[in-house]
Amino acid sequence: MRSLSLYVKRDSLIHKIDPFTKIIYVFVSVISPFILPTLIFSTSLTLINLLFLLLGRVVKKVLPIISFVFIIILTIFIIQGMFYDANQTELFSLFNLNFYVEGILYAARISVRAINVLLAFSLLILTTPPTEMIESLVRRGMPAKLGYIMHSVLQIIPMMSSNASIIMDAQRARGMETEGSLWVRIKAFIPLIGPLVMSSLVNTHERSIALEVRGFSAATQKTFLHQEKVPGGMKQLRIFFLLFLAAVLAWRLVL
Amino acid sequence: MKKITINNLSYKYSLAENKALNNISLEVEKGDFIGVVGPNKAGKSTLCKSLVGLIPHFYKGEFEGEILIDNLNTLNSSIAELSLKVGLVFQNPFNQISGAKLSVYDELAFGLENNGLGREEMITRIDKYLNLMDLNEVKDNNPFELSGGQMQKLAIASIMALKPDVFVLDEPTSQLDPQGTEEVFKAVSRLREENLTVILVSQKLNKLADYANKILFLNQGEIAAYDNTAAVFSRNDLEQMGMGAPIYTEIARELGLKNEKNQYPIRKSELKEMLVAKYGKNIG
Repeated sequence: MRSLSLYVKRDSLIHKIDPFTKIIYVFVSVISPFILPTLIFSTSLTLINLLFLLLGRVVKKVLPIISFVFIIILTIFIIQGMFYDANQTELFSLFNLNFYVEGILYAARISVRAINVLLAFSLLILTTPPTEMIESLVRRGMPAKLGYIMHSVLQIIPMMSSNASIIMDAQRARGMETEGSLWVRIKAFIPLIGPLVMSSLVNTHERSIALEVRGFSAATQKTFLHQEKVPGGMKQLRIFFLLFLAAVLAWRLVL
Repeated sequence: MKKITINNLSYKYSLAENKALNNISLEVEKGDFIGVVGPNKAGKSTLCKSLVGLIPHFYKGEFEGEILIDNLNTLNSSIAELSLKVGLVFQNPFNQISGAKLSVYDELAFGLENNGLGREEMITRIDKYLNLMDLNEVKDNNPFELSGGQMQKLAIASIMALKPDVFVLDEPTSQLDPQGTEEVFKAVSRLREENLTVILVSQKLNKLADYANKILFLNQGEIAAYDNTAAVFSRNDLEQMGMGAPIYTEIARELGLKNEKNQYPIRKSELKEMLVAKYGKNIG
């Protein structure tokens, strides 16, 4: 069964970095442009993220995500370009609609930050196996139950979707139309919900028993089968990222 | 040595009208293999859930009496504590996969991690039970990609890895095909080799006759019979009680073949021996 994960297996420098260091990096990279909202700063961070994605050889996987938000970004440019409060200097005019420099720059600042967030998270998600990422957080004190929920979403949603197709097959076998126009599909969706939700609830109940009898609520300190692989120099790298964040903060507060 | 002592156990599920178990008392010796049989609503699953502490800790309802596992009262111990003493495997193999692990190997570690075992101990146990359950070939597969029989074997192995003394299996083969059933029963026979105390609920009487040294027959929440396997299957009132017997016992009953203990044979080999003794080698 496929798992609900975007992780791309590659042999790259970025893949070798441990999940926790990457999480810290993503946090710093995402938060910094909001503390210091200059266009140059956020653009440089975005370019750095792009460089890392190139190093991780996963750029191709980001393109569909970027193209999806492209429509939103285009909207931001159009709206802000025309209607931003501080619009003064006309840049160009299209079909009698005036676009202003201030608005376009403002839109650019928002968009670059949005793209930066997107790239940073993509970097984390595309180059880190989800199980390792969750385990690394549980090791550092995230409740194991929350970790389980995150794990199970990855496994159990594909399972639910395969359950849904079994139920739909059964309904189709009894003459229900499930394919065709949008309206037919919507009509087929409603009778699907009942059995799907009910069977999922029953399964969840049973699975919770199975978890209980395997000590899921044991009061003992949890241990881990896999050792955490942390390459040398990661501690320094984490400190560097946090110092960078502190510097950004200081810059903002002083200037 | 007494392994399990049940004293006057009664249980009623909340919202239920009748008691699922009604005043049950019995003792199980260490190393016993108890086959539990009975019609629907007999209380078989309720008994299993009570043994592992799910009743009364997980299911709220009216609980009376006590269950002692090695003098440990299930009422006073948490499910997690009990999970190291009593293991439970149930019907649906699919729902016993944790869903948190991406490989069979890691799935086996799930319970061990929860119970805080050391890494080396984990690896030793995982390797042992992977081998014992013939799961070595699929150890890197996603647990959800296994066949039903393999999944159930994985569920058994995951529980075995916790090294409980008592193993409770609630109809582990009812959702499996003949091949999967065979695989699971082979796995169950390994439990007996490990000298575990086993409580197995199953409707497969021929199989129970092969493995169980005692049969517990439950009916409407009460004990209808609890005795040695051959003694239970040799009773004359089985039909009135709504219970069958293994096919070999039925044949012997038709032919009036009883052994020196005045019991019918329950296994193929026994029946064959008696037939040969009575009719000579070239019968048929």
